[in-house]
Amino acid sequence: MKSLAAITFIGFFCVIWTNIPFPFPVPEGFPSPIYKFQNNPRTREGFELGRKLFYDGLLSKDGNFPCSSCHQQFAAFATYEHRLSHGFNDQFSFRNAPGLFNLAWKKELDWDGGINHIEVQPLAPLLDPHEMAEDLNHVISKMKKDKTYPVLFNRVFGSPGISSQRILKALAQFTASLVSADSRYDKMKRGEVHFNQYELKGYEIFQQKCSRCHQEPLFTDFSYRNTGLEVDSTLKDFGRMRITGRKEDSIKFQVPSLRNVFLTYPYAHDGRFVTISEVLEHYNSGVVQGPTLDSGLRKGISISSDDRFYLIYFLETLTDSSFIKNPLYADPAMGVRNEAPAHLH
Amino acid sequence: MPSPMLQRLKGFSYSLILLFVLGSFQKKEMDSTLSIQFRAYVHGVPLELNKKYQNPFGETFEITRFRFYAGKLAPVYTNANFKSKIPSHYHLIDFSDSATTRIELPVTAGIIYNGIQFQMGIDSADQNRGAQSGALDPAKGMFWTWNSGYINIKMEGNSPFSTQPAHIFEYHIGGYRNNYNTVWQIKLYSTNDQSFMISKEKKILIEIGMDLDYLFDGPTPIHIREIPSCMKPGELARKISENFIGTFTGLTISPNP
Repeated sequence: MKSLAAITFIGFFCVIWTNIPFPFPVPEGFPSPIYKFQNNPRTREGFELGRKLFYDGLLSKDGNFPCSSCHQQFAAFATYEHRLSHGFNDQFSFRNAPGLFNLAWKKELDWDGGINHIEVQPLAPLLDPHEMAEDLNHVISKMKKDKTYPVLFNRVFGSPGISSQRILKALAQFTASLVSADSRYDKMKRGEVHFNQYELKGYEIFQQKCSRCHQEPLFTDFSYRNTGLEVDSTLKDFGRMRITGRKEDSIKFQVPSLRNVFLTYPYAHDGRFVTISEVLEHYNSGVVQGPTLDSGLRKGISISSDDRFYLIYFLETLTDSSFIKNPLYADPAMGVRNEAPAHLH
Repeated sequence: MPSPMLQRLKGFSYSLILLFVLGSFQKKEMDSTLSIQFRAYVHGVPLELNKKYQNPFGETFEITRFRFYAGKLAPVYTNANFKSKIPSHYHLIDFSDSATTRIELPVTAGIIYNGIQFQMGIDSADQNRGAQSGALDPAKGMFWTWNSGYINIKMEGNSPFSTQPAHIFEYHIGGYRNNYNTVWQIKLYSTNDQSFMISKEKKILIEIGMDLDYLFDGPTPIHIREIPSCMKPGELARKISENFIGTFTGLTISPNP
């Protein structure tokens, strides 16, 4: 009887001291994710540590550029209204900050797919002298001096110590958990709402003219394509070719998801298009010919003004307002922001 | 008649014993160590960082940093029918930290070996494992962030012949994709075909000599004046990595004091 009590007591203790698994729900209709938290079992504590890191300026050289400075929840974790984002010492980023959602389904990250694993993705902005401009060992030493981090890392990983591997795994627990699958479109798919006639018409046009690359349900096929954008003479960004070194990959960029497209403007790898109308007009009349141009775009995509009207109705259904207001993804110190703060730089 | 439960338990304990026996065999395999020392030479003189040398093309230079990844190190059996158990981990050999140039390798005593095999650089399987630790910790400064991948060889220095700012030269050699693979499998045998046996008592030191002259004067001649830098995967990196493996000139085997 005594031993039973002792076992119960120890068992109770174990429940308190081990991290509680935090299952990752795959939305209905989504494929199986690429990142399955292998070697990084998802726990609530790990997720919370990743969230804290994501919102902490300590990860940047001057303290002003946490991940969240360029990845803002109200903009589906893109940079609101910025062609390029701002980084250390008044510098611009090289590319437009993409929205962060459904990253667990991405095999390769970044506009050129240069990053081969979600866990190593944060190293790019962290070490880029134009962005967070930090050094890994310096970040670790700052965290070791912090009051809370040593305790939190100990709790999440079950032993004391802060390392780049632990920081990156914790961040991946958060970033891979950013799932957006509750837009009006998703609700329609689940039979919870019905599209109105404008949305329906827009959906039809979308399926005819856009879905070859922006495939449902993730609204991208993750391929690299030259969509007929002229190379900016100041940025000289040749996209995928920078990674593979192959001529045939020149000016190719990864097809971005259209989920939350209303929130993630400006558009394209360099943010050259401010509105969705501009993007649609580009496909209609602005495609620049070139040897690597996508074969389906040789003649552009004819999008009439009627098409545009309906398409915009449809694209608006891809906004996931519960995602951008989900307190689970918000700054743990601030809570959810509903719109861009007035002082935003 | 024992109960089925007891029988099952008995079966379980047999398998436990079997596991234990197998486990002890496994353990017995690695009952000695082999010391491996990487030594780099320029013009036959041991490399020292920040010291002036001349390459085979008469260009004077200093090396300020020299590191590379060697992994999956194992001794080679003289009897080709036996294959060594290849460990999966990597070592970052850094000539600014002499402790890293020496590796203590667990081996099986009583077997005759005649060489060493290892992998120069990180192969594609190990390039795609996400956040890693130890020798592969990205904080070691051997990881490209914008084009994920490890730098397999990092050599930095300066030379009056370099056209770069402050006359620096930097060779950051890496790449594992497609035709730009810079990872090589290397097998080295002793210079005079010597074989060696390691016992528990008599330890052996194997020195792997690297003649850095061949880094410049290899299949692709590298003149600092013409090629002061290589910073990304590609054809040049591939060629420099080919020169690099030519620097491994052989093994010297001696008793380990």
